[in-house]
Amino acid sequence: MTGRLKLGFVVQRYGVEIAGGAEYHCRLIAEMLRDHADVEVFTTCALDYVEWKNHYPEGEAILNGVRVTRFPVARQRDILRFAALSDAIRSPHHAAADEEAWMDAQGPYAPALRDHVVRAAEEGGYDALIFFSYRYWTTCRSLLPSRTPALLAPTAEDDGLYRLPLFRKAFDATTQFVFNSVEERLMLETALGRPLPGEIVGVGSALPAAMDEAAFRRRFGIEGPFLLYVGRIDLNKGCPELFDHFLRYRKETGSNLTLVLIGRAVLPIPQDPSVRAIGFLEDTDKWNALAACMALAIPSRLESLSMVTLEAFWAERPVVANAHCAVLRGQCRRSGGGLYYTNYDEFRGILETLEGDAPLRARMGRSGHAYFEKNYAWPVILEKYLRLIAAARRAKAA
Amino acid sequence: MSIEIESKDVDVRKIMSEIRERIAEKKRGLYTDEEIREIAERKLEAVLETRQFNPDFLKDFKTKSEVWNYTFNPETIYKTSRGGVGGLLGTIRNLLKPIQKLFWNPTPMIAALSRQSDLNLYSVQMLTNLTLELTRMNLEVQELRARLQQTDATLEELRKRERALESLAVLKEQPKSTS
Repeated sequence: MTGRLKLGFVVQRYGVEIAGGAEYHCRLIAEMLRDHADVEVFTTCALDYVEWKNHYPEGEAILNGVRVTRFPVARQRDILRFAALSDAIRSPHHAAADEEAWMDAQGPYAPALRDHVVRAAEEGGYDALIFFSYRYWTTCRSLLPSRTPALLAPTAEDDGLYRLPLFRKAFDATTQFVFNSVEERLMLETALGRPLPGEIVGVGSALPAAMDEAAFRRRFGIEGPFLLYVGRIDLNKGCPELFDHFLRYRKETGSNLTLVLIGRAVLPIPQDPSVRAIGFLEDTDKWNALAACMALAIPSRLESLSMVTLEAFWAERPVVANAHCAVLRGQCRRSGGGLYYTNYDEFRGILETLEGDAPLRARMGRSGHAYFEKNYAWPVILEKYLRLIAAARRAKAA
Repeated sequence: MSIEIESKDVDVRKIMSEIRERIAEKKRGLYTDEEIREIAERKLEAVLETRQFNPDFLKDFKTKSEVWNYTFNPETIYKTSRGGVGGLLGTIRNLLKPIQKLFWNPTPMIAALSRQSDLNLYSVQMLTNLTLELTRMNLEVQELRARLQQTDATLEELRKRERALESLAVLKEQPKSTS
């Protein structure tokens, strides 16, 4: 195959409404590669990630210059059944059939998508198929050994799921891995007991031309220094612990720091004047908020990459991360752009240090920015993807 | 191309280690006896259940002993509080003591009530000490729980590092297909 590359992406959901996670990651990469290849995305009609309800129309559409083909979800997720099967597979004595049943319950169950991708892989019409997120049905059932080179961005979190034998088939069928971090690579290589071909890549970001701190403060009436949280306000993201730590910090130290929350709330937010939830924001406002904040808080214990952490690095703002997440801890150390806490005392120590040391904040900001430019700027990401695709094609040809 | 191992501009490990040292310095020896006494007296409600205990319970016991205790000695039962008339009454009672003792023996009762008064004092002292000790234990448990969390995190990190080093050793022996 010569000339312009032809690439197919496979992802569980795809759309401009999805502003985070592996789906957003996939969209950014597909849009980056559209100038260098014929890019097509195969996905489901789902927007909702809880029950996978069909939302988008079935069939082809063009989104930001990328051709997207959507397939219907044939069976919505039964939450109770999924929860019961999730418990079952956590037991050390579960059977292989439990894992298969769990995967079918996990979804998004889209047999038409699987058939299309498997057929395309067999026919060899693509230079490479690029799968996102190992844990979903769309990858697990479609990523099979074939004549087409397959890249997988596992976006694996340290939750142990990747150890299930269920995923071995997809991992074994992967020609090149696109890792998000050093920690993810080590985690998977340890679980699979072998070195895996691939590179640590991650993703860039849709960077703004400029950031306006004053505009954010004016628009939302926020004065004084604030700690920023960006993302879904959810138990799984560690938000209750962040609220407890922050309110305790204010009470004990008399600090005038405010906690500003950006994102959709799926749990109650403390009724305290020092906690301001301003809902989901457009990208411009988010970047302005990053420019205005003293630091960004990332309380989640499970992160595969945390794009907002990278965005804070670019915006030259230090990150206060949960040290129980190895990826965040590693990113802080490698970048010099963040500090990490394992308990309240460390959380307090970090905030006291950052509040009281503006030169350190500036130094950490510069260090984080340099780290972003070196590792996550679009030309760097593009070069790595093109190199991985070439390596995958060579491996298949050999 | 590889992701660099650690930042050269900002030593995050060093900053974290300084923060942890400061925390350890604050917590060294946990709390002094003076701090514990102060906490126990000022914040009794933080240790005990306020619905069941008055926060001023300990202070009242220590300062208002006349409210809850009595003083008792062998002469107490013959004393009177009626001023000048009372003095006469006391003299008569003393004169009649031998006759009174023909009817009953007040000595065991006097001894028991005196002893009870002393026991009350000891009980209060013990209650004070128990409150202090309970507060100390409570603070120690909180501290140890935090240390355990830190140790867990460190252990997890060391395990991962060990696995990483093991896999690096394997990688050295077997050349990678690409990377």
